[in-house]
Amino acid sequence: MSFLRILLIAAAFIFIGILPVHAKDMIVKEPPKSLSKYYPPESKQPKWIQQMHKMSTHFGGIFVNLKEKDFENVDVHADKLVEEYKKTSEMVPEWEDYFDIKAVEAFAAAAKTHDIAKAGKESGGLGKTCGKCHAEQEISVWAKFHWPSFHKIRVTDPISEKEVEFDDYMSSISTSFKGVTVNFGEGQYGRAAKALKVFKSRYMELKSTCSKCHATQDVKRFYVGQDADTSFAGLSQELNSEKPNPEKFWKNIGLLGKTGCKHCHLVHRTNSFIQKMWEQ
Amino acid sequence: MRRSSRIFDLIIGVGLIGVSGFAMLYFLVNERFEWIPEQVLELARDPEILKRPPAKKCSECHKVIYETWKDSRHSISWTSETFIEASENRSKEKCLPCHIPQSVQGEKPSPRMDLRDEGIYCVSCHFIDNKMQGPYDLLAPPHPTFRNPDYVRSNFCGSCHQKTFKEWKATNVEDTCQDCHMPRKKGRLTQKAGFNLLHKKRWVGDHRFLHGEIKEKDVVMESGWEENFFIISLKNQTIPHFVPTADNGDPRLYLYIKFFNEAGEEVDNAKEIIAPQQETALPYNKKMRYRYRLFDKIIKAEVELKYQPAWSKEKSTVRTETVLR
Repeated sequence: MSFLRILLIAAAFIFIGILPVHAKDMIVKEPPKSLSKYYPPESKQPKWIQQMHKMSTHFGGIFVNLKEKDFENVDVHADKLVEEYKKTSEMVPEWEDYFDIKAVEAFAAAAKTHDIAKAGKESGGLGKTCGKCHAEQEISVWAKFHWPSFHKIRVTDPISEKEVEFDDYMSSISTSFKGVTVNFGEGQYGRAAKALKVFKSRYMELKSTCSKCHATQDVKRFYVGQDADTSFAGLSQELNSEKPNPEKFWKNIGLLGKTGCKHCHLVHRTNSFIQKMWEQ
Repeated sequence: MRRSSRIFDLIIGVGLIGVSGFAMLYFLVNERFEWIPEQVLELARDPEILKRPPAKKCSECHKVIYETWKDSRHSISWTSETFIEASENRSKEKCLPCHIPQSVQGEKPSPRMDLRDEGIYCVSCHFIDNKMQGPYDLLAPPHPTFRNPDYVRSNFCGSCHQKTFKEWKATNVEDTCQDCHMPRKKGRLTQKAGFNLLHKKRWVGDHRFLHGEIKEKDVVMESGWEENFFIISLKNQTIPHFVPTADNGDPRLYLYIKFFNEAGEEVDNAKEIIAPQQETALPYNKKMRYRYRLFDKIIKAEVELKYQPAWSKEKSTVRTETVLR
C-alpha cells in the first residue's frame, strides 16, 4: 500500500469522524428585529407564538377530524391553515424564505380529498418548511423572547444598599463567599464569622431577586429554601463555637453549593450566556 | 289684603306640593325603587356606562370617590415608575393580572387589553358579570347597581392580595381589609347637582386604599446582653398580617445595629432585612429574635428600625433605641 493511499484512507477516516460533529454544530443567531413587534413590550401579547399555536392547531385539527371522519371540520381547518400560514409568512420579512405557499396549498388540497394517507404524504413537504425554521430559529426565539433577561435585573445590595447589575451582584456574592471559606481555611474563625454575615445577607437577598420573576414560593424555595437555611444555621453554629469542626463546616458549604448555587446555575446559566452575547 | 293672602296661600300650597313631591321621590329612590316602572327607568339609563368606560366618566357623578381613587396606588398600578421598572417595561406576565385586572371577583383576575393606563379602576372592581355591583342595592338611574356582600369582605381584596389575605386569615382577627384600608364615613355616593340631594347618605369606603404607615406602637422591641452576644427581638403587635406584606412587591423594614466600645468608637455593626420576599417579615403577635456575636468589648448598642415601602427608595424611621450594657 502506497503512502499516498494510506494518507487518503486516514484523511477519509478523519473526515468521517468530523462529519457528525459538523452535523451537531448549531448557530444560535439573534432573531431579526422585526420579530420584536410580535412580543412584549412592543406588543401587548406574544403574537408570534400565538400564531404558531394557531397553525399547529389547524394542522393537528385536520388529522383529528380525518380520523373521526368529521370532514366538514377537516375542510374548515385546511382553509384556516392556509390562511394563517400565508399570514405568518408575511409577518417577518427576513424569514419569508422559510415558507412555501405551494406546499401548504398542496397539503390543504390533499386534506380536502378526505384521504388520510394522501394528507399524510403531502404533510411531509409542509412539515419540512416548519422543521427547517424551528431547527434554525427556535432556540434563539425562546432565548430572546421567552426567557426573561437576567441582565435587565438590578439588585439592591443589602450591604451597600445600592442598586447594582445582576452580574456584578453575583461577583460580590462570590467574593463574600470566599471571605468565609478562605478565612476558615486559614483558621481565622472570627473573620470567617464576620464574612458569613455578609455572605448570608447577600445570598438571602436572592430570594427577593428570584421573586422578580418567580411568583410562587415553591420555585423560590427550590433555589433558596430549607437547605440554605440549614446550611447557614450549621455554618453559623460552627463559627460561633469555641472550636469549629472543619468537617461539619465544609459539609454545610457543600450543601449550600449543591442545593442553591447549582440549582440556579443549571437552569439559568446557559440561557443567560446566550442573552449576554446579544446584549453586549 | 285678600289678594295678597291668596298669593301667600298659593306659595304655601306650591311649596307643600314641592316638598311632599321631593319627599316622595326621595322615598322612592332610596327605599322603594322597585316600584318605579322599568320603562321609566329606561329613559334615564346611560348605555355608555355599561360599556366599561374610563374612570373619568364615572367621576361625572362619583366625584369624591374618583378624587380619592386618583390619590391611590390603585390608580397608578400601570403607570407608576416603580412598576414599569420592576416589570421590565410591563413585559412580565405575572404582573399583568393584578395591575390591569379585567374583573375582580374573588380569584386571580385576567389582564385586560383596553384602558390599561387606568390601572385598577372603577370598572375592574364594580362592573362584574356585565352588571354594576357594590355594597348596596341602588336605583342609580344611569346604571342599576346590585348589592354584593363581598365588597365588605376580605376575600374580595384577596383576589390579588392573596398572600396577605392568607396571612390575615391565619390571625383569626375579625377586622377585615376594608375596615383598616377603606375606613368608612357617612357621605353621598354622588355629587351631581340635584341628584346628590335625592340620595341618602350611606357609609362610603375610602378609595385611597390607605396604606398604614408603620408606627413605633406597631412594633415592640426588646433587647439585652448575654455573655458575648447581643439579643434583640421584634414583635408586630397591632397589624393582623405580616409586616411588611406584599404578594410580589418588595417593601422592607431595615434593622440597623451599631456597636460601640468604651472609647465611644463604633467597632461593629449588624443589619437585618425584614421583608416578605425574603420570608423574614414579622408575623402577627409573634416575637422574632435576632442574636449577634460580639467580637470586641462592647458597652453600647444603637438600634434603628426603618421602613421602606415597595414603591419608594426612601426609608423612614419607625423607632430608635440605645441599649447600654
